[in-house]
Amino acid sequence: MYDTTRTESAVSQQDIKISARNVQVYYGEKHAIKDVNVEILDKTVTAFIGPSGCGKSTFLRCINRMNDTIDIARIEGEIRIDGDDIYDRRVDPVQLRAKVGMVFQKPNPFPKSIFDNVAYGPRIHGLARNKAELDEIVEKSLRGAALWSEVKDRLHEPGTGLSGGQQQRLCIARAVATAPEVLLMDEPCSALDPIATGQVEELIDQLREQFSVVIVTHSMQQAARVSQKTAFFHLGNLVEYGDTDDIFTKPSDSRTEAYISGRIG
Amino acid sequence: MTDMSNHASRISLFEVDPRTRRRNAAEKRFRAYGATAICIAVIALVLLVGTILRDGSGAFRQTYLSMPVALSAEKLDPKGNRDPAEMSKVLTLAYGRVLDDALDAAVAQMDTQIEGLSEKDMTGLVSKEASAQLRDRVLADPELVGQTVDVNVLVNGRIDGYFKGRVSKESAERDSNTSPQQLMLADALAEDGVLVTRFNREFITNPDASDQRPEAAGVGIAILGSLYMMLVVLFLSVPIGVAASIYLEEFAPKNRLTDIIEVNISNLAAVPSIVFGILGLAVFINFAGLPQSAPIVGGLVLTLMTLPTIIISTRAALKAVPPSIRDAALGVGASKMQSVFHHVLPLAMPGIMTGTILGLAQALGETAPLLLIGMVAFVREFPAAPPEGLFDPASALPVQVYNWTQRSDPAFVERASGAIIILLIFLLCMNLLAIFLRRKFERRW
Repeated sequence: MYDTTRTESAVSQQDIKISARNVQVYYGEKHAIKDVNVEILDKTVTAFIGPSGCGKSTFLRCINRMNDTIDIARIEGEIRIDGDDIYDRRVDPVQLRAKVGMVFQKPNPFPKSIFDNVAYGPRIHGLARNKAELDEIVEKSLRGAALWSEVKDRLHEPGTGLSGGQQQRLCIARAVATAPEVLLMDEPCSALDPIATGQVEELIDQLREQFSVVIVTHSMQQAARVSQKTAFFHLGNLVEYGDTDDIFTKPSDSRTEAYISGRIG
Repeated sequence: MTDMSNHASRISLFEVDPRTRRRNAAEKRFRAYGATAICIAVIALVLLVGTILRDGSGAFRQTYLSMPVALSAEKLDPKGNRDPAEMSKVLTLAYGRVLDDALDAAVAQMDTQIEGLSEKDMTGLVSKEASAQLRDRVLADPELVGQTVDVNVLVNGRIDGYFKGRVSKESAERDSNTSPQQLMLADALAEDGVLVTRFNREFITNPDASDQRPEAAGVGIAILGSLYMMLVVLFLSVPIGVAASIYLEEFAPKNRLTDIIEVNISNLAAVPSIVFGILGLAVFINFAGLPQSAPIVGGLVLTLMTLPTIIISTRAALKAVPPSIRDAALGVGASKMQSVFHHVLPLAMPGIMTGTILGLAQALGETAPLLLIGMVAFVREFPAAPPEGLFDPASALPVQVYNWTQRSDPAFVERASGAIIILLIFLLCMNLLAIFLRRKFERRW
């Protein structure tokens, strides 16, 4: 396993998808993210780990400008996706979020049918010209989220009627349906049981073939299992960023070592 | 340490320690308080509804003289040309005489004769409104003149009250408006089947009547007026209120200005309703020059009063929608407006509708502001159909109730309670509608 991960990460040494420079985030007076610089690779799973309140979710939400919805949040520095600064005045956050999909901590399907849940994004972005194309996108997305076989006979039943793990995979399908380039996942498995977690993790590994996946997780085991790159956040600082294997086997910073060995966090 | 655990283990579980006993007693006491409070509330409700039903159910029954009336041509159409213009010169007095003759004939046919029956007792049996009603009927159809038609003639409010238990022979002794002899005559007529009590449809359809004619008074105009006002309130307060709430809750930046607006909306909900009446009088009637007593003005005033209620309940409904739904919508690239209109609003709909209907129900029962804008006026003419009718004088149900309780004739107390029953039925229907809508929309997850 050790070897395979290493080869995989070697293979995915390619384009930089997201690059953050001197990112600062303030919530009112609170300095939540302090001078974060990070380069996230395309077609790679990058894990953000760290103790609660360390700013990993905050930073994740900067990548698709979800922090814009919080009145008191203020962001400085620049985040570039494929070279374009997403905080540039010309960037429309709505358009950005279609490119940078997000899966949240708690499964949050719309209280609509399974089909409508997945079809919502493509509909509002006009990705399908007719019903047949929409059907195709929905099927493809549900297959992509490894949910198709379970729900294909009840596409018009409420999405909220699914089990927790299925709901989360439905949310992934919904995010995938808008054909994003980056998929952000904010502790996607924290509300799931181990079996559902296993399914979602397997899915994340498959999704890596199509886009850059950034996942925030509390579980170091999960970070070790799914990611090729890991970033360790502590008190708003990005302490260490590197290959997952290196972070977990030979961390260079004492705080990282303390965290992964369970002494802080 | 070991001693302590030994000590603790000595207390058997079958023994209830004093602390637990006190706790259980406190809980039992609290439950008793709760049950008592609910009992008091239920008793109060039963008493209230019981009293209103007892006093008001009489308004839905009415005593009539059901007798043939000969519409004599020489009295009602002296020129004999059946021209409505000519006939309208004949006053109600002549119709009163026609009715008196008919009553005389009916009394003459009876087996029993009542001793000491005066002329006044005979003519006083018939309501003063009856001749006016007969005149209206004949003028509407002049061909009736010369024929003998069956007419349901309204009887005097005292006689009506006698059959509803409000008037007795003893009270008639002291009453200058009736006499025991008149009541005996009424008994005899009832035995003959001439005097009948039946359902009073006119109470719901008739306009108000003057102080001397409680038997003819109805809530027709009041119902129509209330309905018109509710239409105005519905069409103004719902769009304005919901739009304002959505803006404040979902779009407005949270700063000092919006804080001030928020506080003021809450304060507005607590402003006494009569203040809104003064505002309406000053702004809508004196400044804008809208007519007095008109449902449009009442509707505008009630809109101002209902807006805070609708805004507060709508905002509560919007707040109750989990933020995760907004995140989900924004997360797939929906705009703020799409997330609100596609996801938040449908989920908040049951709450918004419930709040709106309760706001409307509150407005329906509001009296004080309407008094100030002249809705208390005595209105006999039905308003036209909306929208023109919104500018015609009308009354309103709660104002009608207030109005009737001011009058001296006890028959109006019965009418007032009857109007309250109608008002309560409307309120009940609105609340049922609110519950129904909430259920219906909640079923769609």
